[in-house]
Amino acid sequence: MATALESGPSGSTSANDPTNVIVETRNLGKIYRDFWGRKKVHALKSLDLEVRRGEIFGLLGPNGSGKSTTIKLMLGLLFPTSGRVFVFGKDATDVSKNERIGYLPEESYLYKFLNADETLDFYGRLFDMSADERKERTAKLIKMVKLEHARRRQLKEYSKGMTRRIGLAQALINEPEFLVLDEPTTGLDPLGTRDMKDLILRLRDEGKTILLCSHQLADVQDVCDRVAILHQGELKELGRVDSLLKMQDITQIHASGLSDDAKSRIKKIIEESGGQLERMDNPTTTMEDLFLEIVKESEQRPGRRGGRGEN
Amino acid sequence: MRLSPEQFWTYSEWLFQHNGLRDGMILALALTILGFLVGYLVSVVNHGPVEGFLKVAQNIGQLFTVDIPKFSFRRVAAIAGLAFKESIRKKILVLIGIFIIAMMFAGWYLDQNADYPARLYISFVLTATNYLVIVLGFFVSCFSIPQDIKSRTIYTIVTKPVRPLELFLGRVLGFAGIGTLILLVMGLLSYVFVVRGLNHEHEVETIDANGKIGQTTLSNKHTHTFTLNEEGRGTTNEVKGHRHIVSKVGDRIVIGKKIDDLTARVPIYAKKLEFTGRDGEKNEGYNVGYMSEYQKYIEGDSLSMAVWEFDGVNKDLFKDVISYDLTISAFRTYKGDIVTPVGGIIYFRSPDEKVESERESFKVKEFQVDRRSIRTKLKGFKEGQPADLDFFKDIAPDGKFQVVIRCQDRGQYLGMAAADLYLRPADLQFWWNFVKGYISIWLQMFIVICFGVMFSTFLSGPVAMIATVAAIVLGFFGFFVDQLQASTTKGGGPIESLIRVPSQTGSQIELDLGSPALEEAIRVVDTWLLTGVAQLKNAVPNFDQLGTADFVAYGTNLFGGLLGRHLTIALGYFVLTSLVSYFFLKTREMAA
Repeated sequence: MATALESGPSGSTSANDPTNVIVETRNLGKIYRDFWGRKKVHALKSLDLEVRRGEIFGLLGPNGSGKSTTIKLMLGLLFPTSGRVFVFGKDATDVSKNERIGYLPEESYLYKFLNADETLDFYGRLFDMSADERKERTAKLIKMVKLEHARRRQLKEYSKGMTRRIGLAQALINEPEFLVLDEPTTGLDPLGTRDMKDLILRLRDEGKTILLCSHQLADVQDVCDRVAILHQGELKELGRVDSLLKMQDITQIHASGLSDDAKSRIKKIIEESGGQLERMDNPTTTMEDLFLEIVKESEQRPGRRGGRGEN
Repeated sequence: MRLSPEQFWTYSEWLFQHNGLRDGMILALALTILGFLVGYLVSVVNHGPVEGFLKVAQNIGQLFTVDIPKFSFRRVAAIAGLAFKESIRKKILVLIGIFIIAMMFAGWYLDQNADYPARLYISFVLTATNYLVIVLGFFVSCFSIPQDIKSRTIYTIVTKPVRPLELFLGRVLGFAGIGTLILLVMGLLSYVFVVRGLNHEHEVETIDANGKIGQTTLSNKHTHTFTLNEEGRGTTNEVKGHRHIVSKVGDRIVIGKKIDDLTARVPIYAKKLEFTGRDGEKNEGYNVGYMSEYQKYIEGDSLSMAVWEFDGVNKDLFKDVISYDLTISAFRTYKGDIVTPVGGIIYFRSPDEKVESERESFKVKEFQVDRRSIRTKLKGFKEGQPADLDFFKDIAPDGKFQVVIRCQDRGQYLGMAAADLYLRPADLQFWWNFVKGYISIWLQMFIVICFGVMFSTFLSGPVAMIATVAAIVLGFFGFFVDQLQASTTKGGGPIESLIRVPSQTGSQIELDLGSPALEEAIRVVDTWLLTGVAQLKNAVPNFDQLGTADFVAYGTNLFGGLLGRHLTIALGYFVLTSLVSYFFLKTREMAA
């Protein structure tokens, strides 16, 4: 067990300097216990990962895989049973890290009796922002999430999509460097989902680091730079999305206007090496396929980690 | 109403002479040690002995290095505002409606025939308000944080730079805010209710041929008689705790506004009361049996006397007359002439006993306040010689003087306590006393809220409420611990009682275990245990002592010293609950 006296994060696993590592988990484990201290669930087993500055990091996994636990540990909502989490180089239980973090929880846990303006003003005050600053940020964010028409309505009257959007606005009130989004697209219609994804990419382009946790595999595929896949509390896969999705042992040929005969000849030619190919590269599978395959593998051989991508 | 001596200590007397500060410090120290031990034990279970210690040290360190320095009033105000809005949303203001309905029914049932209707009215409104806002305190404070945890809205709060202390303080202030609003409305309604409910007018019913003595008409189920002086002014007699001013306007006699019932007397109490026995020896006063717990007695027609020593009486408070109130009881050893009250004499003298006023005899008015006065220009004796005296020049040049009471009737006794004689300079405004009564209620509500929020930081809503109720109810039994410690309760301390119960040794019999050493050991351990319990008793608020409705109802100024004490006590609980809450919020997994 790591002790409180242990030194801060080293960032030694990072290729770059330590300031580029936003989140670092070290041998992170979490066991849920019941009232009597008996072990109930081993929710997370020695997780090691890093979220680097400026990337969109996806956290994937089936229900109960430990995604939410990981996020809660990073935010200090839970305390680790073993190992440590560092956010901005500080222990995750350090409240001052929250100055630079924005968090959109799974279901936008907001106060339903406030309206959009009051909500943003309230959270702004929690960041000790001045009245002028709060007013300016509130106006800007409400415009950004397109809720101008509903800013004076109580949140209890909001649709699910609107609640997500005000939740996102709330997470952005302090212009955070690091944004934690738990299922950002649930409840959004395809259009809303598209908007959300564009927004996430835009925020990344503005220099923010984003940790995303989602079941919507297509979303993850569209926006994430790197992903970690968790299953049964263990890290199964970690790497760049493009390299993870690359199928190394298959060659794909894109050709057009070929007769069956030609196809068989090309086959033959390829077998003998040579010929003119219109296109020849590594095809990609969908995120969904990859995900399902990993889950299947993991169930067959628990405790082993796949070896597709680089870290 | 009987004031106990500790109720008229000044603030500094309480703090320094009567160990208010010392007891507070001991309690703080004891709770700190206890808190540290409990915290450490819990931490050891979770982290092992060394790291457990480091965790505790870290949390204590962070309180001073980070959490207090980075404290933000804006965050506290935001959370307080939210708590306030939440309460409004929960329709807490319905309470005001309930209160109005209670007052409407009370109007029917409060008896105008009572001896002192004003006391009844004031007691009713203050008690009703008190109970309502305390219940309000229980409900709003105990459920809020657990509700936030259940609905997970707490996730969006604690992932912001909100510190545990701010979370606690915000809640407490928010709920205190809503309580203040409700108290303000209730106070205003109550004031109008009392003043209007008691308001009545009389006309002249009959008047004698000289136009000096007459009787009023019946109003609010009573009449007065009145006497006018040469200048055509006077007052009615006192009925149902009030008099009316009577004046002659032209040829008409007008019964004017009532006085004395809604008032705030500012009693000036003596620093001490000393007794002298029948042969002139100093004693504690005679004990005549069951009623002597509060008052002690002097014997008639002997050297026995009671001497009140006043100190620091400001002469600017009195003009020509020094008014004083006397509440003395009589104890008869023979029936005698039952119609004639027992007689006494009273006189004022300088502390060196060289100057004294003329002796004035009086008849004891039992069970009521005898309103008396003495002129500042008076006749008396200077070193035994008759002389014209000036009270503040001759008797009390530096504000110090004595009042002596003796009983005249042989074989009868007069009983008195320190608070039974007090000087009475001009009264203060009733409304201000009423406001002070409400401040008292506010303090009680505030303490309830502090405890409620504290318990809710680590217990679920309903359990937090039961815990809060338990703490308050325990406070009511504080007097029992005092009695145990003062050994007025028979049967000994906890261990002695444990032996007595199974061995069926009655509390009147000496404990006999056959070994004096063992008995002594039990007594010593019991004393230690009781001292510990007595200190812990202070950790829960004693609402019995914090209630001040009687002061307002009986028209006695609720003086600053007492209110200051209550304020200090409330502040103490506030600090205590803040710290406990801090550590619970700090070490609690919000998402667990």
